[in-house]
Amino acid sequence: MPYRLPAFGIAAFCLAYLAHSAVKPAQIRFAEVAGGAGLKFTLRNAAAGQFHQIELTGGGVAVFDYNNDGCMDVFFANGAAIPALKKTGAEFYNRLFRNNCDLTFTDVTEEAGLRGEGYSMAVASADFDNDGFADLYVTGVRGNMLYRNLGNSRFADVTARAGVDGGMWSVSAGWLDYDNDGLLDLFVSNYVVWDADKEPRCGSPEQQFYCHPREYKGLPDQLFHNNGDGTFTEVSQSSGIARHTGKGMGVAFADMDGDGLTDIFVANDSVRSFLFHNLGGGKFEEIGLESGVALRDDGYAIAGMGADFRDFDNDGKPDLVISGIINDSFQLFRNPGGGRGFEDYGQRTGLLLATRQFTGWSLGMYDFDNDGWKDLFFGLSHLAELERYLGRDSALPNRVFRNLEGKKFQDVSAGAGAAFQQAAMHRGVGFGDFDNDGRMDAVVTVLNGPAKLFRNVTEDAGHWMAIRLRGLRSNRDGLGATVHVHLANGRDLYNHATTSVGYAGASEALVRFGLGGSARVETVEIRWPGGGMQKLTNVVGDRIVDIAEQVAP
Amino acid sequence: MIGLTALVCIVLAMQQSAGYATYQKANAMFVKQDFAGALAGVEEALRLDPKLVPALTLHAKMAMASNRFDLAGKSLEAALAVDPKAQYAQFLYGMTAYMASDMQAALPRFREAHKLNPADVRATLYLGLTAESLGETTEALALYQQAVRLEKAVGAVHVETLLPGARLLLLLGRLEEAEVWLQQAVQIAPQDRDAHFEMARLMVRKGAASQAAAEGEKALALAGGMTTDEQIHYLLIRAWQGAGDMVRAQSHAAALRALETPAQKE
Repeated sequence: MPYRLPAFGIAAFCLAYLAHSAVKPAQIRFAEVAGGAGLKFTLRNAAAGQFHQIELTGGGVAVFDYNNDGCMDVFFANGAAIPALKKTGAEFYNRLFRNNCDLTFTDVTEEAGLRGEGYSMAVASADFDNDGFADLYVTGVRGNMLYRNLGNSRFADVTARAGVDGGMWSVSAGWLDYDNDGLLDLFVSNYVVWDADKEPRCGSPEQQFYCHPREYKGLPDQLFHNNGDGTFTEVSQSSGIARHTGKGMGVAFADMDGDGLTDIFVANDSVRSFLFHNLGGGKFEEIGLESGVALRDDGYAIAGMGADFRDFDNDGKPDLVISGIINDSFQLFRNPGGGRGFEDYGQRTGLLLATRQFTGWSLGMYDFDNDGWKDLFFGLSHLAELERYLGRDSALPNRVFRNLEGKKFQDVSAGAGAAFQQAAMHRGVGFGDFDNDGRMDAVVTVLNGPAKLFRNVTEDAGHWMAIRLRGLRSNRDGLGATVHVHLANGRDLYNHATTSVGYAGASEALVRFGLGGSARVETVEIRWPGGGMQKLTNVVGDRIVDIAEQVAP
Repeated sequence: MIGLTALVCIVLAMQQSAGYATYQKANAMFVKQDFAGALAGVEEALRLDPKLVPALTLHAKMAMASNRFDLAGKSLEAALAVDPKAQYAQFLYGMTAYMASDMQAALPRFREAHKLNPADVRATLYLGLTAESLGETTEALALYQQAVRLEKAVGAVHVETLLPGARLLLLLGRLEEAEVWLQQAVQIAPQDRDAHFEMARLMVRKGAASQAAAEGEKALALAGGMTTDEQIHYLLIRAWQGAGDMVRAQSHAAALRALETPAQKE
């Protein structure tokens, strides 16, 4: 007797077939809307043919909500005159733009008191004093500045009292609670010793060029412990961080081994990268070599730039992606867990060869099409003035790679929209959802050119959920918290709260998930810094979910 | 027959050139690494005959040795203006750009050198390396293969000719093909550090950790080559980890740190 499908079985089969047929990968697309949105900013590096190294490395941007109106605002770090290193005119001011919640922006720099001083590089944002308002730490060539958000649309320079000036050329910084005391500490990546009067000269007499970083002495990174009273104590020595001299660029944080302590990755320029394993008790051990993330697989030190420390294959363990310069290839390291270090996944995911001809600065691993797999966005441009050597323009278009179920990354830039194809001297990238439509947008700085705002207009993007954490025992932003989402279809998704993403900048603190075809989440499990667990069930998606930390009485 | 006669005439003309004897002396000093004497000699030769192609070429070689690729380029341009078919000068002209990392300029120069003498292994190899660094991996691999064929035709394949192809195949993830090239390299030059290092890299990629460790240790014990101790130690950390010997892995990590510390603290 021939097997016959019952009627409901046929219907179910047809529905399933149709559903499967309809699952066409969404083409990630962006529209560039900065001009129309009033986000008018030009990053000035004051280059004037003298080839000062500091001209290469600035361009940090922060995406954060400074006024708690639920809309992501933007802060840009800017350069200064050289050699004075002073912001001698408005063209050098740092800028804060308020999002008017209709995807237009208003420049509120003056009102906020955020013009800045010196030659600024990067910005890190988070609520360091747990008062409910996101603060800013701006790094520079001769010193860094901490701005406390007063909650009345103004910021106060509290650097001196806080004791976090740094005093070195700092390229990136980030906030983390390394000791889980509920207070955000500050990590600063320092680059090289630089003096305008002692700038080495490179290239030929007729054709000068920027020197290789080897011509400059490296610097140790710094760690500042938050004392909870507006002051910080530098613990670089006691923690073990300062034992290692590098040429620090991007920083990224994650709990790589699930021990409840946040670890630190630093991409170094042309010397090996650092992975600081948090041992607890205020101590770190540098294990980049043992973990297999210090160098390229042939033992070559790439010119590490940006980094993101996130889980690309949804196995619950944060992986690492690092950008570099032309012929380096960008690096992708998979974390298999179990203390087995990292596996080099660049070649097998196709990223290694696909990025070999690029120079990447900032980057981010976000799910731009909300299919449940985090994609990659790279801000690209070759070194300035490299045209003669490359025989092509230093300006490059950015690139977006779609994550094919954690196995491959496919360059889908060609279909990402006309504006996305435009080459420019891209540098910093900050990520956030500026129009709260659930699709991740990106703001990109351009060296001596107008900043770009890439609004994500991906059609047929999946469902989504963004989690806004509110720590009570933990730091208020919940930075360091890991979130595990379980869907009814059996899928498990992971992410964690961090604002330290890419290169020299900060991205929104929300923990985002693309949910694919699931409009609802079966469970959301949060592990707060320090280990407190919290679980929500049957949570409706396509919205921002506010979750306050439960604290036992 | 006419061509041969012309060649003989050119050679005779060169020999009769006022500066040729001086150039020959300078070249002999260069070979004996008497660079100061060679420089004085070649400058004298060029004073006597500013268009003497071998002297211009030697002058360029000396400039390249002191990293003055700009000066070398000018000498070679002068040489090629006199004799556009001077293949060695054309090859060196490519090298001046290659050494200055100016790949876009190097590419047409090596192409021309390769065209002038398709049997020149060096020009073929460097054209391949340049193409590869510009992202033309298919062309690069074809050129590496061609360079190996050229050497095979004269019966002497060199390890330096095999390794660029093997490295590119590794990069492309074509492990089986890379292994063929590397086995040949190790067979030809069993004492070559670079060949054993690349073989160790291949073994790591294949998941053969013990073999990787053995090849890596062999490489470390060998002198010479382009591969640094740091590179080998880094590989051996992963190889010994994979082989389950954490003590040896840690010892290589310590060795690497000891090597780099002075440089990093500079």
